Amino acid sequence: MGERKVTVAAEVGLHARPAATFVQRAKKAPMDITVTRSYGGEKVNGKSILAIMALDVRQGETVVISAEGEGSEEILDELAEIAGTP
Amino acid sequence: MTTVLAPVEGEAVGLAGVPDPVFSAGLVGPGTAIDPLRGPGKAVAPITGKIMKLHPHAYVIVGDDGRGVLVHLGIDTVQLKGDGFQLLAAEGDRVSAGQPVVAWDPAAVEAGGRSPVCPVVALDAEAVSEVAQGAVHVGDELFRWD
Repeated sequence: MGERKVTVAAEVGLHARPAATFVQRAKKAPMDITVTRSYGGEKVNGKSILAIMALDVRQGETVVISAEGEGSEEILDELAEIAGTP
Repeated sequence: MTTVLAPVEGEAVGLAGVPDPVFSAGLVGPGTAIDPLRGPGKAVAPITGKIMKLHPHAYVIVGDDGRGVLVHLGIDTVQLKGDGFQLLAAEGDRVSAGQPVVAWDPAAVEAGGRSPVCPVVALDAEAVSEVAQGAVHVGDELFRWD
């Protein structure tokens, strides 16, 4: 299972534009993408904008993004970059 | 099927009328947008359900079937940090469609140099239908989510 721990940099947190961009990328991935606020926390579906908004991640908070399978490392890098973009 | 009601009075202009590429390209989800009547008003719940997220400038209501509808009051209004917005309900509250959620003034938003256009978006939906065009009143049917 690949993971990336990222500090969310956008002023609005993982909402609106960053959330939409994140989910759009995640939806293109062939495997499941999960996001959680901390290791061992509740994992939500990274392909659902409702789930990402419900996670309510603010600027400066960290999330852990997980995926497994072929190509997952690349996808995780891209998702981590989106979440970490101001 | 979910019937989504107009949360504000104004002109339904479609998501293409939103001056923000993420909304106008439908990246947040399908739906429409309302160019609101200028002047003090109350934005209401577009569906019956629970207020999952309540910010002064935006809210998400989730119905009993798990479907979420986002109402965004103006564009880049997160920058106002709540100034000019008054919460009329609380996060976690159960609301009926048409019940006031936030009081605000689109004219004040516009005077501050921001667009008061309100995207109303069906989150995680593939498509919506029967999308209203032109003048809408608060509580009018805005679109359907099959």
